[in-house]
Amino acid sequence: MRFLALTVIKEIKRRFNDPLGLIMWLMIPLFLGGMLTSVLGGASGPTPKAVLLLTDLDDTFISQAIPQALSGGQLADMIEIQEVSRDVGNTRINDDDGSAHLVIPKGFSEAYLNKQPIALELTTNPAQQISPKIIQDVLASLLDLGHYIQLVLGDEIKLIVDGDASADLSITEVAAMISGKIEKLGPYAFPPVIEVVDETPVPEGQSFNLTLLMFPGVLVMAVVFAGQGISGIYWQDREKGILQRWRAGPNGMWVYWTGLFISSMFILGLITFPILLGGFYLIDIPYTKLAPSLLWIMLTGPLLFGTLVLVQVMAPSRRAGGVISTLLVFPLLMVGGSFFPKETLPDVIRAMSDYTPNGQILEPLKQYFLGTYGLSGLFSTLLPLMAVTIALIAVASVIADRKDLR
Amino acid sequence: MINVSELQKSYGDLQAVKGVSFRAKAGTIFGLLGPNGAGKSTTINCISGLIKPTAGNIKVNGFDIISEATKAKQSLGVVPQELAIYEDLSALDNLRYWGAAYGLGGKALERRVNHVLENIGLMDRARDLPKNYSGGMKRRLNFGCGLVHEPKVLLLDEPTVGVDVQSRGRLFDLIKEERDKGTCVLYTTHYMEEAENLCDELAIIDHGKIIAAGTLQDLRAQVGENDIIQLSGVFNAKKLKAAIAKLKPTPEILSLSDESLALAMKEAARHLPAVLKAVSATGAEIRESRLTEPNLESLFLKLTGTELRA
Repeated sequence: MRFLALTVIKEIKRRFNDPLGLIMWLMIPLFLGGMLTSVLGGASGPTPKAVLLLTDLDDTFISQAIPQALSGGQLADMIEIQEVSRDVGNTRINDDDGSAHLVIPKGFSEAYLNKQPIALELTTNPAQQISPKIIQDVLASLLDLGHYIQLVLGDEIKLIVDGDASADLSITEVAAMISGKIEKLGPYAFPPVIEVVDETPVPEGQSFNLTLLMFPGVLVMAVVFAGQGISGIYWQDREKGILQRWRAGPNGMWVYWTGLFISSMFILGLITFPILLGGFYLIDIPYTKLAPSLLWIMLTGPLLFGTLVLVQVMAPSRRAGGVISTLLVFPLLMVGGSFFPKETLPDVIRAMSDYTPNGQILEPLKQYFLGTYGLSGLFSTLLPLMAVTIALIAVASVIADRKDLR
Repeated sequence: MINVSELQKSYGDLQAVKGVSFRAKAGTIFGLLGPNGAGKSTTINCISGLIKPTAGNIKVNGFDIISEATKAKQSLGVVPQELAIYEDLSALDNLRYWGAAYGLGGKALERRVNHVLENIGLMDRARDLPKNYSGGMKRRLNFGCGLVHEPKVLLLDEPTVGVDVQSRGRLFDLIKEERDKGTCVLYTTHYMEEAENLCDELAIIDHGKIIAAGTLQDLRAQVGENDIIQLSGVFNAKKLKAAIAKLKPTPEILSLSDESLALAMKEAARHLPAVLKAVSATGAEIRESRLTEPNLESLFLKLTGTELRA
């Protein structure tokens, strides 16, 4: 155990004696993250709003409900609606002045009430990545909701719109009809759910913003780059003859691998700590979350080292190992949600994200930052992730051991 | 201390070592001399446990390198051909670390580290990173890392490759010092002069086989008193063979081809003009001639018909 401890200290010392390498692992993700955040308009200021240009050619009670629904509640923080004529809307989208242009055609209300098909025109701005997607998703959800409302309360809405309610039925009676239907459908529409109580207090005023979404990605990007760097030590030690000296010595190679594994935890902690500290300060994440976040990175981060060292060990040469691991790292960063938040990725890639090692580290951390997860949520996958890490390193060790060093 | 018996190592169809056997005793420097690719490094790598032999037995300090690996390796100090040092750790940290790897600790480790630093001449640069060292200094540190734990058996795989003359002399002194303390040193080299100056016992290895072994005196005796004449040029081997057979005294033909000729004979310097005349008479074009007194190189030439090529 003494020699294992010395091995861990030795590896950490090696990294300290190569400050340029440490700085690179730290700076590359900060640089890329900063660039991506600014490109996406997510600096630490207010959340960028998607600008929806609206042309309401129908101009009825029903058509007016759409912009009202899109600008109500929390959506008001994300979407700004500007009413424009069709021509102005088209021109502004072409001039990259707006995220999307929605045209509600004449006759929309009538078609809706009579259950006739009718199309809304939505033109998105291809120059923007995220905002049009937000509008598209929100609008799709809204239309789904409208469809179900129409199915359930279509007759009552028709009564109100047609103005017959005042003649034949009082407003109170229509309201009672609606209330009755909701009461009947209640158990089906709103079934009882198991409520998960998150006891971690979420401070007031903490709101969704893009920088907060990007931050865990930048953090895990540093973990990925550092993991790649640490995994490269295998070939460095092998080509230098260090592994020969190890294998000729009385200590098993497991000490070498365990030393790398444990030291990688500390090195990852060392690299991510300043990023965490800076992020917490800039994004205003409560500092009570700092220690658990750091611990999470230190304990799960070696999963990237394990994955990439296995690639290195299986590679026929140092050069091949470097090329293959680099070819692997960038898709991992892309799919795993480090370059762009998972929420902005296409559905197929988003589904794949859950199966990437960095995605497995990133997602719980992001949910923890957002307040969706408490401590138990954050650490719920810790043991499986650590088990996989140890298994990957063990396999790498066995493969390396089977190779002749000369 | 080292007992190698019928060692074989194959890589697929290629048989790198073909039944090598030798014994190296405590307090001696045993040299494995042979050209590049002869099987020296493969042999030494099998002894140090880096590669598994295909067949044969190896015992180090009485322990089998396969079945009693930990005990055998505890007695071993290895100086690989590569510079097996952490270039991002100071010389002091390198020596401390490799000393600790063999169980040294506390004051004993510090004493030993200081002693090695003094001997390898790196005391004043002990806290510097080796990446800022010269090639010779790195070699000396590589050597120091192999003996910091005072091993009973020291394996040196061509430790002087790329080392300047001054550092080489210093390394030789250190190796002799280890030998004098009772360490068994196994030394591989393809430099004949190194082997002659340093080794107490030698095995000459070529194409994976030991072709001669013994003390320096034993091997010199095998060469005999014959000097070696080597000629290169354009020859007619058939005519040349007949012409040489007519010479009195008749030299021994060690090797003959259309481009080279190697002969062994006593007092070759006195008979050289007659030999050159006879060779020229066959219509040969002599481009170079060389006369060598009996040494390991001439033994190698005698045994293999080829030069101890680097």
